[in-house]
Amino acid sequence: MENRNKVELHKISKVFLNGDSCEAAIEEVSLSVKENEFLVLLGPGECGKSVLLNIVAGLMEATSGEVYINGELCGGIHPEVGMVFQELGVLPWLTVRDNVALPEKFRGMSKKDRYAHGQEFIDLVGLHGFEKYYPHQLSGGMKQRVGIARAYASDSDILLMDEPFGKLDAQTRYSMQDEILKIWNQNKKTVIFVTNNIEEAVYLGDRIILFTAAPMSVRRIYDLKDLPRPRNYTDEKFLQIRGEINRHMDLVIQ
Amino acid sequence: MKQRLQITRYQILLNILPILSIVLFAGLWILVSSGEGHIIPSPGEVYDRAVRLFEKPINHVSLGGHIWASMKRVLNGLVFACLTGIPLGLLMGWSKTANSLLKPLFDLIRPIPALAWIPLMTLWFGIGESSKIALIYLGTLMPVLVNTYAGVKMIPQLNIDVARVFGASQLQIVKDIVMPSALSAIMAGIKTAVGTGWIVVLAAEMISADTGLGFMIIRGSNVADLALVIFAMLIIGLVGAFLSVLLTFAERKLCSWKIEIK
Repeated sequence: MENRNKVELHKISKVFLNGDSCEAAIEEVSLSVKENEFLVLLGPGECGKSVLLNIVAGLMEATSGEVYINGELCGGIHPEVGMVFQELGVLPWLTVRDNVALPEKFRGMSKKDRYAHGQEFIDLVGLHGFEKYYPHQLSGGMKQRVGIARAYASDSDILLMDEPFGKLDAQTRYSMQDEILKIWNQNKKTVIFVTNNIEEAVYLGDRIILFTAAPMSVRRIYDLKDLPRPRNYTDEKFLQIRGEINRHMDLVIQ
Repeated sequence: MKQRLQITRYQILLNILPILSIVLFAGLWILVSSGEGHIIPSPGEVYDRAVRLFEKPINHVSLGGHIWASMKRVLNGLVFACLTGIPLGLLMGWSKTANSLLKPLFDLIRPIPALAWIPLMTLWFGIGESSKIALIYLGTLMPVLVNTYAGVKMIPQLNIDVARVFGASQLQIVKDIVMPSALSAIMAGIKTAVGTGWIVVLAAEMISADTGLGFMIIRGSNVADLALVIFAMLIIGLVGAFLSVLLTFAERKLCSWKIEIK
């Protein structure tokens, strides 16, 4: 089933009303994600990648176009879609354990069952022993692990990651990249990962979709399936792809 | 080194100043209350009056009884204010329809001080307990409601999106995301409300009551017993400060995950 399309976007456009004027954020983006693929959406800052991800998640409505999940038209929040948010997506009044168990709580699972279920994923992301900690007691990298564990514990086949490592320092970022690949290898899921960092994109992705600056549209698609993992930042092939993407990426000065 | 020494001296000074201000205040009080034809009873006279109060309670109700009478009225009004204000605030913060329907109404009523309702409340509820509690309700409802509303409005969209993505129903979002997010704002509202309620209860008791600290003040005033008036004022201040400390403690317990509460 490796070649089945898990997610398909068909001519997605998004226009924001800004006072009297319309601002196009996304212009006819079509793409598909294979089952268990690690797809990276790469584009300059503020180009609309997060908006696109929110549309896939069902948190936002597209102005036009359709989202298909498992070949079926999807009109909102889909139970098979989980999301890893930026740092604040971890709820500060809940312990690690309760944050991870949140999706199962919404499904009505008993406290005992959802703690037992969540424990597996807390262990998976290496947070064993931190179950009763509150987010403010954790480092940025650990908070992000909580977010990843929660998305995994939600038992969704599709994981959307919205610049999850954007706010981490460089060292933590590198180790989290390895971590996410390790977790993904142990427990394969379809991943759509948004970033504005070329290096991160090349290090992680089976495939990279490069977008233009706003209004966002697909510029190029890079297939990296032949680039073996673990990848090396200083590898000649790595640098070559990185350079090529760099030449095609829009520069946005903010 | 010298710099550091100065900082410690400054800190010592900061610790001394509160004591100094109280001593100065007491000194000033003794000064204005001594001499011929003084207009205010001295600390000693107030103390003597307080002792006599224990021997011969006013209206056969002990001091504790009067304090409790006032507090019970505040508590009753506040409970009703929370029972209606918190759900209304949540509703107005959460639902745009409810907000545009109710907000103009509350914006109009909010600036009216609770004391302006006294004639209407007396007319409707008489001069007994219920009219006092209704007045306190009116005075405490707004702070609770407005703070709850603001608390809901300040919730980051991200927290709500987290719940939505993971399949929460509207009710679950309100219960598991909105309520805990708004809790510290609600607590701040209750704190303000207790302060307002304390003001309103004293005013209400001064108009008509046979128990309570406001009644003690009016009784003192009627029989020109200024020592009693001042003693009641001191108790009012102490109880108010105690309530504020108590609420800060409760807030810290309830929102222990929030580190910024001091």
